[in-house]
Order: sequence, then structure tokens, then C-alpha cells
Amino acid sequence: MKQTFQNILKGQKKDGSQSQLFILTIVIFSAFSILKPHVFFTLLNIKSMGFQIPEIAILGMAVMLSMITGGIDLSIVSIANITGLTTAFMITQHPASTGMSLNLWIAFSMFIGLLLGLLCGVVNGFLIATVNVAPILATLGTNTLFNGLTVGIRNGESISRLPKQYVRIGNGTFLGIPMPLILLLIISILVGIYLNRTGLGLKTYLVGANRSVARYSGIEDKRILRITYLGSAFLAAIAGLIISARVASASPDYGADYVLLSIVIVVLGGVSPTGGFGKVTGVIMATSILQIILTGFNDLSFSQFFYLICQGLVLITVIGLNISRSKNPQKISTYVRLRRN
Amino acid sequence: MNIPGKKLLLRNEMMLVAAILILSIVINIKSPGFYSFSTLFDLCRASYVQLIFGLGVLIVIISGGIDVSFPMVGIFSAYTTITIMDKLHFSQNGIIIPILMAIVIGVILGGFNAFAIAVLGIPTLIATLGTAGIIRGLMLAGVGSRLIQDLPNGLDHLATSTLIQIRNSGGTLSRLHLLIIPISILVLALGWILRRTIFGRSIYALGGGIESARRLGIPTKKLQVRIYLLVGGLAGLGGLMSVVLARQADPYSLAGSELDTIAAVVLGGASIAGGYGSVFGTVLGVFLIALIRDNLILLGISGSWERAAVGALLIIGIVTQAFIRKMKKRETQESHAEVQK
Repeated sequence: MKQTFQNILKGQKKDGSQSQLFILTIVIFSAFSILKPHVFFTLLNIKSMGFQIPEIAILGMAVMLSMITGGIDLSIVSIANITGLTTAFMITQHPASTGMSLNLWIAFSMFIGLLLGLLCGVVNGFLIATVNVAPILATLGTNTLFNGLTVGIRNGESISRLPKQYVRIGNGTFLGIPMPLILLLIISILVGIYLNRTGLGLKTYLVGANRSVARYSGIEDKRILRITYLGSAFLAAIAGLIISARVASASPDYGADYVLLSIVIVVLGGVSPTGGFGKVTGVIMATSILQIILTGFNDLSFSQFFYLICQGLVLITVIGLNISRSKNPQKISTYVRLRRN
Repeated sequence: MNIPGKKLLLRNEMMLVAAILILSIVINIKSPGFYSFSTLFDLCRASYVQLIFGLGVLIVIISGGIDVSFPMVGIFSAYTTITIMDKLHFSQNGIIIPILMAIVIGVILGGFNAFAIAVLGIPTLIATLGTAGIIRGLMLAGVGSRLIQDLPNGLDHLATSTLIQIRNSGGTLSRLHLLIIPISILVLALGWILRRTIFGRSIYALGGGIESARRLGIPTKKLQVRIYLLVGGLAGLGGLMSVVLARQADPYSLAGSELDTIAAVVLGGASIAGGYGSVFGTVLGVFLIALIRDNLILLGISGSWERAAVGALLIIGIVTQAFIRKMKKRETQESHAEVQK
């Protein structure tokens, strides 16, 4: 306990925005707990937040990966939906006559769905790294394309009545912990290891900090970009599976406002929009803050529109504070130097 | 390698004109009788709102920024105007007062963006994301969230005003909407401002780079404030026109249309990195997307593939632009090499 506390204190010296977020999370959580102890601070309520946070947090991590390299991925929700819809469609087509067990078929469908998501990532990577299109443009185009394909495949209809085994991924619990939350934990640890403990991760930061310098230092910047957008698409595809399993249906139009929401989350989580900086913990804390505010407002029976206002205000205040506090362009290079030591 | 007129041919606008021509010829072969006044008039009507928004987006993109708040600014201005007109029961027949009111409200909301971007120094995408949430929340929580179906008489009358009526051979009437006149004037005026005034040229300079613009002696903060006020006014006008043409004020409409409009402007040749873009290109981009959206069925493609087609077209456009840029770059390098010889 003392150790973690010291780590937090140390972290404060290294990176103010993370501990600032941590404090903000605790303050908001306590505030709602005090205001509505019998509604907000209950196991049921906390559990329901545990079901809602993961999908957005994973989408946020997908955006974070692209933003670390100085780009952005606007196609994440389309990729999530194309994966969710394809998987759901395949599951409903279970060939019972062949004697293949439903569980195996579900796993196979999920595999195909993820593969399709990865294919979308390949398209993004090709446009951004090989054709050299600005990421915001390339993914703006592929967002429309992937969404259009999802609409086209099933004439814009949604798919429901999914089998129990699949729905459990999004609604079940393991030892009382929501399944999506466990998935989120595993994924965030994997992404954290990738970014902080592997060569590729370090190169990702370096490409984002300064692409030309990275290239002249012998980093294959195009390969890094391709891998990054592949990773971003993979995370989006996983989020798509979780979403379709949680709501027990798949639709091409699900979560249209998640694109902008995940950008809000990522930026709030301290990821630099110009690249070179970003942490998994920041994204998760930012998602939690927004979810706590949303749930808290619901419990206080505020209108959800106040949540929208609040979301915007929090974003502008936090970014405004960050900008006025650290007007030194040295921040990125300091971070890279810290990591080298 | 000097082909006369090559420069003109390589211009993005020419590509768009060619694309529109080829597409319309193909449609005409598939369904003869496509070339008619009624098609043209319908296309115009389908483009009005996106064109007004597109002009605002164009200005922001030329200045090197990106605005995702304009649909919210638009619908806030329009909905608030209609609500005020409704409550006060005044000037039922006038159209000047509501239009001016919507523009003024738009300018005020643009002031939010100007404050966040110029004063606080927040990156444009994040600032407008934040203000979009705040504006939407303020409208739904403060102004109202109810669909208003009876517009004031003046505006309702405007919705059906016709400039020219042409009786087709089939006996049906083709109507060219009166709005074509003010919108043409607006397009020409903005084209003139961007090409011929100091203000317009400064916007291009700002898009070329904030620092270089400042060294040129351009008051960048003041310029940004003016840009976002102007764009706010345009968005207000666009919102009111969308309400007029739909003949109802739906506070939930327009949300989520921001990426589509940005796509149209980008297809029109505006560079997301700033510094490039023309009003003519934007008009063509909006027109091309409207052409595809409304006439895909004539090509024998099911309507549910419309979005996919728009996405594919957008990607083709982006990739072509990238190649042209590459060619131009190579040409400049070659000419530099020749000079050095």
C-alpha cells in the first residue's frame, strides 16, 4: 500500500496529467457517493458501470494507438459494427445439420469477424503508410466505406435473437466480476505491455514524437504505421464483439456517436493529439470519469442532456488547463528521454 | 514533358467535373431521360443545406483547422429561432427577421469556438468536439427537445417558393427552388472573399502555417476569431435552411452529419493540412455526392449500397489527390534540378 502510494507520488513528478485524472476520478466518485449513497454507492450500480465501461475504453485504446503515432482513426466504430454484424449473422446461420457444436461455430464466427476487422485495418494501413494519405482523411473515407458495406450486406437491417452462449460474453459474470471488465483488464495489460515493454511500442512513440527523426534513425516508419492501424482495427473489432454480445443484437448504425466520444476520452486521458504521448491508464481513467458522471447524473435524475454539457465542459477545461500549464514543447522529448534511461 | 494545359487538367476541379460527367453519362445510358431539368432541379435542392455547411467547413479547413460543431450550431440556431418566433408570435410572415436571428445566434455560438480556439489555444478538433456537446446539451436541456411541426408562415411559404416552373412532356412540373438565388450569391461572395480580399488571403496564409502567418504580420488570434464567427453565422444560416426545407424543426436532426460534409469538402480538393481549397471545388464535391446518393438506384444498385458507393468514391478521390500531389512534387524537383544544371 505504501509502495503504491509512493508510486503515485513519483508519478506525479513525472506526469502530472495522470495523477490529476486519478484525483479527479476519486473526487467525482466520492461526490456522487456522498450525494446519493443508497443509489450510487451500491454493488448493483458499480457492476452496471463495469458492463458499460469496457467497450468504450477499448475503442478509446484503439484511437489512442493511432494518436500516439500522430494520426487518428475515425473508422473504429464502423470496424466494430462490421465485425459485430458479420459475427452475429454467421452465428444465426449455424448449420445444425452438419453436427458442428454451437460453441465451436460461435468461436469460428468470432474468428471470421475479427479477421474481417483486421482486413479493415490493412486497408487503413495501406492508405496511410503506402499511399501516404493523411490519417484523418483516409479513415474518414474508410469509415464511410466500412459503414456502407455493413449497411449493404444486410440491407441495413439489424440482427437479434443471438444464442445464450454468445450473449454471455457481454452479460455474464465471472466470480461476480462482469465478463467485459475481465476482457478489458486482459486487453489493457496486453496493450500496456506492447507499448511499454516491446521495441515496437517504443518505436510507435518515436514515430509519433517526430516521424522524420525516427526515419533517419533507421526506424521503418511505414511498417510501424501499418502495424499501428492493424492494432487499432483489432481493438475496434474486439469492442464490436463485446458490444454485439452485450446488447444481444448487431446493427450497422450502433454507436454512431462513439467516434467522437472516444476522441473525447482519449484526449481527456492525456494522449497528445500531435502524437508521441499516451497511456493506457489515462484512457481507462478518462472512460471511468465520464461513465461515473453519466451514471451519477442518472441517479440524481438529471437529464442526460446535462451530461452532454458536462462532457464538453470537462474536455475544454482539462485541455485548457493542460495547455496553459505546460506551454513547453520539451514535454515529448523529456518523455522519450525518461524512457531511454 | 511539357504538355500544354497539363496543369489545368491536373487540377482537382477538372477531375471532379470529369467524374460528374462520366457518372451522369453512365446513368443516362442505363436510364434514358436522366438529362432533364427535373433531375438538375432535384439535385440542386438536395445540395443546398450541405453546400452552406460545406462553405463553412471549407473556410475552417483552409485555415488549417477542423470543425465538427457546425451541425450543432446550425440546429441550435434554427431551433431556437423557431422557438422564439413561436413564443413571441411576432412577424409571422417575415423571413428576414428569422434568417437574421439564426445567423446572429450562429455567430454567438461561433464565439464559443473562437474563445476556445483563439483564447485558450485548444486544438480545433478538440475544441469543437467540446463545444458541440455543450451546444447540443444546452439546446435539448434549455431550449427544448420537442419536434416543432408548424413553422411561422413566412418560412413555411419559403419552403415551397419556386423560381422557375417547367412543364415536362409527361405533364409533371419541375420546380427550381427560389433558394438558388441567395445561395448562388453566397457562393460567389465567399469565392470573392477567399480569392480577392486581405481577409481571405490571410486565411490561406494561416493554413500554410500559424508561425509563418504571424511573421507575415497577420494578427493570427484576431483572424481565428473572425473565421469562427463567420463560420458560426454560416452554420446558423445552413441550420435554418435545413429546417425550412424539411418544413419542421427537429432538434435531433443534423447530428452525425459532420463527417459527411467534411468528406464532401475534402473530395472538393481542400487539403486537411490547410492552405488549399476552393469554393468551386466544394460546390462540385457536394454536387457529386448528391448525384451519387440520389441516383444510385438508376444504375441498378440497391439503395442500401449507397453509403458504400460514397465511401468508395471518397477513397478513390483521396488516393487520386495523393498521386497528383506526388506528381507535382516530382515535377518541382525536376525543374529545380534543371535550374541547377
